[in-house]
This record gives sequence, C-alpha cells and structure tokens, in this order.
Amino acid sequence: MANMAVSRIKREFKEVMRSEEIVQCSIKIELVNDSWTELRGEIAGPPDTPYEGGKFVLEIKVPETYPFNPPKVRFITRIWHPNISSVTGAICLDILKDNWAAAMTLRTVLLSLQALLAAAEPDDPQDAVVAYQFKDKHELFVLTARHWTNAYAGGPHTFPDCDSKIQRLKDMGIDEHDARAVLSKENWNLEKATECLFS
Amino acid sequence: MLLGCTMGNCLKINSPDDISLLRGSESISGQDSGPMPIYQHEPLPQMFYPASSASHSAASATNMSEEDQIKIAKRIGLVQHLPIGTYDGNLKKARECVICMVEFCVDEAVRYLPCMHIYHVHCIDDWLMRSLTCPSCLEPVDAALLTSYETT
Repeated sequence: MANMAVSRIKREFKEVMRSEEIVQCSIKIELVNDSWTELRGEIAGPPDTPYEGGKFVLEIKVPETYPFNPPKVRFITRIWHPNISSVTGAICLDILKDNWAAAMTLRTVLLSLQALLAAAEPDDPQDAVVAYQFKDKHELFVLTARHWTNAYAGGPHTFPDCDSKIQRLKDMGIDEHDARAVLSKENWNLEKATECLFS
Repeated sequence: MLLGCTMGNCLKINSPDDISLLRGSESISGQDSGPMPIYQHEPLPQMFYPASSASHSAASATNMSEEDQIKIAKRIGLVQHLPIGTYDGNLKKARECVICMVEFCVDEAVRYLPCMHIYHVHCIDDWLMRSLTCPSCLEPVDAALLTSYETT
C-alpha cells in the first residue's frame, strides 16, 4: 500500500511540474527526502489580497495510506490568516480533513490553499485572535496580514509604523517575532502590547 | 434503473464485456454468481481504518468490537453489489484510475459506481470502506442501496 502512495506522488509530481501554474510561478513543489514521503510546496499570495507578492512555503507529509487519507499540510512561512494558526501554521481546511477525496492531488491541494488565502472563513477559524480581528477590525487585519507578508514572505509593502513599534519592543529585549505577534494581537497598541509582555 | 437489474448477480469478474452486466440473470453461472456469504469473502484489504498501518491491520481486525465487525461486513456486502466490468478501451471512458493514477489496461476489471465513474476494483473498494462517495464527483454511492443494506 505504501507503494501506491509513492507511485501516486511520483505521478503527481510530474503533473505539477507540467502544470500551467508552475509556468506562471503560482505554485511550486519540491522533494525533501528520497522516500517521497515529505515534500515542500510553495504558493504565491493571490492578487488583490493582503498576501499578494508573498511566497508561502508549506510542509507536506504524505501518509502511508495516501491517497485514501489526505496529506498533512502546514504553513512553514508565518502568515496572518483566520484559518491558519499564526503560531504553528496549522491549517483549517475541510478537504484536508473530512472532505478529502482520493481524486484530489497535491496540485488541487495547493490551489485550494491559494483559494483559502483569497477567501478566508472567519466563522470556522483556526486562529481565534486573527478571526476576531478579521471580523471586528478588518482594516487592521488587512494591515497586519500585509505586514506579515512583508516580514516573512517577501511581500512588497512596508509599514514603517509597525516596524518602529516592533523596534521599541526589541529595544526592551523582546525577540522580533514575539514583538510582532503581541503587537498584532493587541491591534498595534504599543501600550497594551507592553503590558501584555511585562505583566 | 440500470443498476436495478444488475443487483445481486454481477460478481463475476471475468465477464466478457461490461454489457453482460446489463443482462441481469442471464449472466449467472456456477458459484461465481449471487451474493457470497460476506464473512467468507476475500481477505479484507488492509486499509479499512484510517489510523491503521499495514502492519497492524491484522491485529486491529481481531480487536474490533462486534459492532464494528458487523458494520464492516455490511459495507463489504454493499460494495460487492456495485457492478464490475472489464475495461474495453473505449476512448469515451476515463483512461486512468484516478485513485492510483495508473492507466487502465484493456480487459482489466473495473468497478462501476452509480455515477458511472470507473476505478480499479481494489482501489475503489479500499476507498469505499472509508467513504461511500465517488472520489471523482463526490456523489453518494447510491443512498437507496445504502439504506436498504445498512438497516437490514
């Protein structure tokens, strides 16, 4: 059975390599080990979203029971999105859980994740803090997601105000990512973030 | 309708072509026909439980509750009523099995789902033990069949 998993992944790998999306640099896939059980995916942030211009790297683990069970996928690149954990990169997406079907492939999974970036479902969140901001303070959500895309995924938009607040916390000895995470959670309120860190 | 006449007598794998599936009782011959006693059927494929790996499937089969065993037996019974034909190379049909992504060979045994999608028998049987939907179109595998077998 493991043989079916490996032979399918090999075929799918070819499918992705031949796909139109790879020509457009919209998705990418590469091997991590020789056993074909672990792969690395990459998706481009969709246009007209806060993720535009960013490249997001994914960890893909292929179970022995593939394709009868879905691949295990998580974001390695940090991302600010209601359905993706800002801490672990875990993804809440139905096709990676109960709605998986054996006819789906690595290519369709990557394209579905790209679609998820373009259409968040805040009512079925993986990261409650992000989902709350998405619903309650949407402009701040867009700013934060853009800033994270710039900081972690190579996105083009810089936010000097965010950077200077992060620098203030760094000056107090806080790690850059921890500073960014707390400020993002506290809607970029420096006072509240400081309180949260030092109380 | 098409499936109605095939129920219960299409277990023969080596039928000359898939048209024979539609002839109903004419295709009955010898002990290959008719629903088999489900407990004596071919050994269970190894992949019924999402969490099990090939190495402990035998162990988990013995550790299963009676209820689970009955459920699986019923599902095997249900799956066995889905018609099997041989791939005839007709270009209008799918050329490869989307589960293993291997091309069908002419005369290879394929199972037909009610939505008329076809798969290798061993591939789709493994899948149907997990989910009673077509992997291609997500159509439920004949809800009517399902209820009649799961409630009896």
